[in-house]
Amino acid sequence: MENHLHRKIDEASEYCGVPGEVIIYFIEQEWVRPIDFVTPILDEEDVARVRLIWDLRQNFGVNDESIPIILNLIDQLNLMHLSLKKFRIH
Amino acid sequence: MRSLLPENEAMIDPYQVLGVSKKSDQEDIKKSFRKLAKKYHPDLNPGNKEAEKKFKDVSHAFDLIGTPEARAKFDRGDFEEAPFGQGGPRPSYYDTQHEGGRYSYSFGEDFGAEDFFEGLFGRARGRPGDFPGEDVHYKMEVDFREAALGGEKVITLPDGKNLKVKIPAGIESGKKLRFKGLGGPGRMRGGAGDAYIEIIVRPLEGFTRHGLDIESELPVSFLEAIIGEEVEVQTIDGSVLLKIPPGVSTGTKLRVKGKGAGAEGNRGNHIVVLKIVMPKHIDPALKTMAETMKGQFDYNPRMS
Repeated sequence: MENHLHRKIDEASEYCGVPGEVIIYFIEQEWVRPIDFVTPILDEEDVARVRLIWDLRQNFGVNDESIPIILNLIDQLNLMHLSLKKFRIH
Repeated sequence: MRSLLPENEAMIDPYQVLGVSKKSDQEDIKKSFRKLAKKYHPDLNPGNKEAEKKFKDVSHAFDLIGTPEARAKFDRGDFEEAPFGQGGPRPSYYDTQHEGGRYSYSFGEDFGAEDFFEGLFGRARGRPGDFPGEDVHYKMEVDFREAALGGEKVITLPDGKNLKVKIPAGIESGKKLRFKGLGGPGRMRGGAGDAYIEIIVRPLEGFTRHGLDIESELPVSFLEAIIGEEVEVQTIDGSVLLKIPPGVSTGTKLRVKGKGAGAEGNRGNHIVVLKIVMPKHIDPALKTMAETMKGQFDYNPRMS
């Protein structure tokens, strides 16, 4: 997926409905690693990840200690999907 | 009741969507929402459009009646046309990763999952000759100032392709930039690999980077340290005048705001670390004067 949209934290917050201070917390925990880590500016991938973490914590009752494990497993799965696609037998 | 959705779409009843009654309490609504959200979350149902739509409906319904305030408004028919909060038309995390995303790839880099798959399927079961291209790694030197303030560089890859590399302001040595599909060509149906460019920041004498701050040492005479003085200081933007307050010591740090690294509007600071330097030769007259002063102004710097 191409990422054209880049947002500052306040814009990202408005866009995805997650409070700005919570997004900053996610970045501090290194659960989200903004594409531009200096400003910081979040792209579509970052925002979708913020929203996923928010859903996990807010709606699924996942505690902070489990978040990195779940994220790691999700990334692992996504990569496996991708790799499988690449090596699919035609 | 006002329509919850644009005119051409059917109106939804949030109570019905969440499977609760108008008499249900907030806790029941929340429980039901969580149950449905878990069931239909797009990251748990990758690629399932129906689940995605249901998740959006459920989220939208919860936006409308998920809190006592929102629910009261909704029940009165006095709600704003919802700016999609939770259920908006944003891509899910899976959407951003399933064709290859930074996060999935960063995982791949660390654990070599692609190599694993190549070993497992590529040679053993894949179509003969059907290999993806190799990732290629380059190193690129950038000036201290360019790394601090950002810039653009065009580099020529070994295959003759020119690549415009945007250097993000504030980048640090060792950071890698990834260029998808610019690595080695794939064979048969295998896609091209990626190019990684590792940034090496060339040091600049007298300057060091600490995150977005830039530090430099400034020698001052003991007289300047006592009296205070305005002196010229070199920053990456050129020289600026810095006021040294009276009574500074070696190691005192003074800040020149906004002259550090980073994108415009978000730059770090230039930190000046003072170093008191004595004259190379102590003139006898100075020594005599110091002895006189010692009688009147002596202090013990070893006592706090």
